[in-house]
Amino acid sequence: MAAASNVIRAAMGDSTDVALAAGGDRQAFERLYRTHANRVFSICARMSGSRTRGEELTQDVFVRTWEKLPQFRGESAFSTWLHRLAVNVVLNARKSEGKQASRMDQGDVDDERWDEVARAPMHIERMDLAEAISKLPAGARKVFVLHDVEGYKHEEIGEMLGITSGGSKAQLHRARLLLREALER
Amino acid sequence: MTSSNMTCEAFDAALPDYLEGSLDDSRRTSVEQHLGECVRCASLLRDIENITKEAAAMPDLVPSRDLWQGIDARIAAPVIPLAARPERQRRFAPAWMGIAATALIVSTAGITYILTARSIGPGQSGAVAQIAPPTTQPEVKGGSDSDATATSPDLGVARTQSGGARSRLTPSDGTPDRPRTPASLASQTNADRAHSDLVYGREIDMLQKIVSQRRTQLDSSTVAIIERNLKIIDAAIEQSRAALTSDPASRMLDQQLTHALDKKVELLRTAAMLPAST
Repeated sequence: MAAASNVIRAAMGDSTDVALAAGGDRQAFERLYRTHANRVFSICARMSGSRTRGEELTQDVFVRTWEKLPQFRGESAFSTWLHRLAVNVVLNARKSEGKQASRMDQGDVDDERWDEVARAPMHIERMDLAEAISKLPAGARKVFVLHDVEGYKHEEIGEMLGITSGGSKAQLHRARLLLREALER
Repeated sequence: MTSSNMTCEAFDAALPDYLEGSLDDSRRTSVEQHLGECVRCASLLRDIENITKEAAAMPDLVPSRDLWQGIDARIAAPVIPLAARPERQRRFAPAWMGIAATALIVSTAGITYILTARSIGPGQSGAVAQIAPPTTQPEVKGGSDSDATATSPDLGVARTQSGGARSRLTPSDGTPDRPRTPASLASQTNADRAHSDLVYGREIDMLQKIVSQRRTQLDSSTVAIIERNLKIIDAAIEQSRAALTSDPASRMLDQQLTHALDKKVELLRTAAMLPAST
């Protein structure tokens, strides 16, 4: 009961702060940041595979949010809109990182490295799931985070990444198998 | 291979759809029968289900530092309505900015040359006297552009473009139009310029601080392009200021200076908002 009322209060607080922030109130926007920073940082860090990069991307997400806030129509919950925006910022950042990102997206370099590791599991120290996710090839990592951590559907992921939902399913299965090997289960 | 009809390879192939719940009944039954008989495949399924559950329950991560200060610095840049801009989305295009800044220098230098040549030509009166409007006409609103052009070609051009940023930075105070003498016009122009210089100066200082703080977060080639373009724009600003010193009443030069300052603010703002590179 108390938890439910907290959720309602948080949602109501969000809507007031969203309206104020959309009108240029930076204090209201800071409150939104404080409420959602960890969640956004989690998305950014897990999708990029780096906490440092995740922090930079989190700042980019909130700057972008500030710019786009006047366009938020309240058709979905603010948190849903924000998380989707965070995913887009991460994906667009990777696209703009040029050739290196392109190679990472195709998974060439990472896949080779991972395959070496996967072929010799006895040399890997046991790692936790978060660390194992960060070592996944970029394509598999993005799909795994979006599906298994963030709860997006394959159709949504396919739309975000510009791949088919079948491709998303294949990447997810690959990611799970790689994680299983890394976790020595 | 087990006593069921399904091999381990077939199970592996069917596993993604089984986990998605998208197998038809007969294939699902085969998979489940195989799972009951094959330790290897049952273990694989259990591990993947555990990974999925664990992933869904992962707690939020916490940044190692408070990121708000950096965000606040980037969104705090004051927004002054500098110019009526097209609605289409602007993109940061360093090459185009360079071309635009170069064009700005060329046009500024050309205009400076023409106006200076005119103002010092034999038998010509000074530039301030030339652009003085008829005392019965308000500065901007009164008369038609063609009337103004007939009286003074230079002023006519300036009037048709009088919606520049400096006009907006010093909005009308609502007082009725008064007849203007050359001296009062020059005085008003100087006051406007001083005020707008102050406003531009403040914003440019603030943006430069932000860009300076973010310098290490930006790609080095991007920083180099920004700095190169800033030098070009600064040169245009210097030229405009120098020309205005010789011809302080020239609205054309004033607009050129405003345009160059706008470009500088726009470039700095773009740099302040650029996403960080890796």
